[in-house]
Amino acid sequence: MNKQFKKVWKAPVLLAGVTLFGLLSALLGTGIWYWLAWVAMLVPLLVMLKKVCS
Amino acid sequence: MAQLKNIKKWFWIHRWTSLICTLFLLLLCLTGLPLIFAEEIDQMLDDDPPYAAMPEDTPKASIDRMIRIAQQRYPDQVVASVFVDDDEPQVIVTMAPSLKPEDGPKSHSLQFDSRTAKLLKDEPPFDTQPQTFMGLMFSLHIDLFMDLPGELFLGFMGLLFVFSVLSGAVLYGPFMKKLDFGTVRYGRSARLKWLDLHNLLGIGTAIWLFVVGATGVMNELSTPLFGLWQITDVKAMLDKYKGHPLPQSSGLSSAQGAYQTAKNALPGMTVISIVYPGNSFGSPYHYLLWAKGNTPLTSRLFSPVLVDARSGQLAAVVKMPFYLRALELSRPLHFGDYGGLPLKIIWAIFDLVAIVVLLSGVYLWFVRRKFYADYFLKLSEVEKD
Repeated sequence: MNKQFKKVWKAPVLLAGVTLFGLLSALLGTGIWYWLAWVAMLVPLLVMLKKVCS
Repeated sequence: MAQLKNIKKWFWIHRWTSLICTLFLLLLCLTGLPLIFAEEIDQMLDDDPPYAAMPEDTPKASIDRMIRIAQQRYPDQVVASVFVDDDEPQVIVTMAPSLKPEDGPKSHSLQFDSRTAKLLKDEPPFDTQPQTFMGLMFSLHIDLFMDLPGELFLGFMGLLFVFSVLSGAVLYGPFMKKLDFGTVRYGRSARLKWLDLHNLLGIGTAIWLFVVGATGVMNELSTPLFGLWQITDVKAMLDKYKGHPLPQSSGLSSAQGAYQTAKNALPGMTVISIVYPGNSFGSPYHYLLWAKGNTPLTSRLFSPVLVDARSGQLAAVVKMPFYLRALELSRPLHFGDYGGLPLKIIWAIFDLVAIVVLLSGVYLWFVRRKFYADYFLKLSEVEKD
């Protein structure tokens, strides 16, 4: 647990948080919040792309 | 050893929930892809002439005028509902031979210019219209051409999928114990490569998969949820009118009046449809009007208003129960249609990644046996250390 747990889950939890933020931000706001949503939801996609290509 | 037993249990859950639903999930992902862009595709295929150019603030024509034109065209038919578009300058009047549910497929719509009350298009009945590509996608995505049983079946498949996502996330931990995030072991076996890809793409899209899966299940339950509302709250509301004589179509108060009454009752909201008295989706004694809010969030939340069909008086602004509110909120989160075209494109990419996760999962199951026997053996040795 603890140290190893952190190592395994740090990236997935961050990605989940960013995705969730993106999902909600376009739902609750407009304008700048749309942009934030697009950028936020691109983060997990780009991270996955980078890992797949490396 | 308890931990190993636990992992095996989760593994079993993950394997079976996934295997049972995979084929249908693949179908949902494939048919969902064009549905994300339904609006854009419709616009592209639309060969109607553009609306007459008129100043933005041109006043709207009376809905009653359009109803009169529709009734003159089809004197033997009745009006079922009126849709007042808040996006394009159009009003759509739907008529049917009668309001009996079995005549539903025979209903047809007339499209009017909302500013001039000019009839733009008189469509043939729904049951004589040819199957369109998007219609086919809708049927395959929602009910497999089987109405409620199909909806419930796909809803159950969605529920299995939600459990498969959850159990997959639980398994991610033990599988990644010795690996850095995002490790893909290329150049060893194909199995290891696809296992790593399955884990990376699965965990990277887990929240999206969970949200779209769970809201999809919610959407498949819309028929029973509206049914529940009708036999509880709606019935209670209409019970006090029991025994009142039913309004005749010749004795109805003005539809435009009902529209205005609802609008006045809900300032800051937009009334978008009028369901005629006697329609099985409405009340026998009232016009039922649906209004929605004007902010991004509240435009997804609808409020029903009842207007007495004889007197034209406001009868009630109905409060929606929590489960229908939840259903309304689950729609945008499933469709991905709430953040402009870029969000739709992002939705489509997630959808494609989901297809890779599904297919790699099937592949891993296919080649599994020896590999997982070895894997559990190794895990038990690690635990002994």
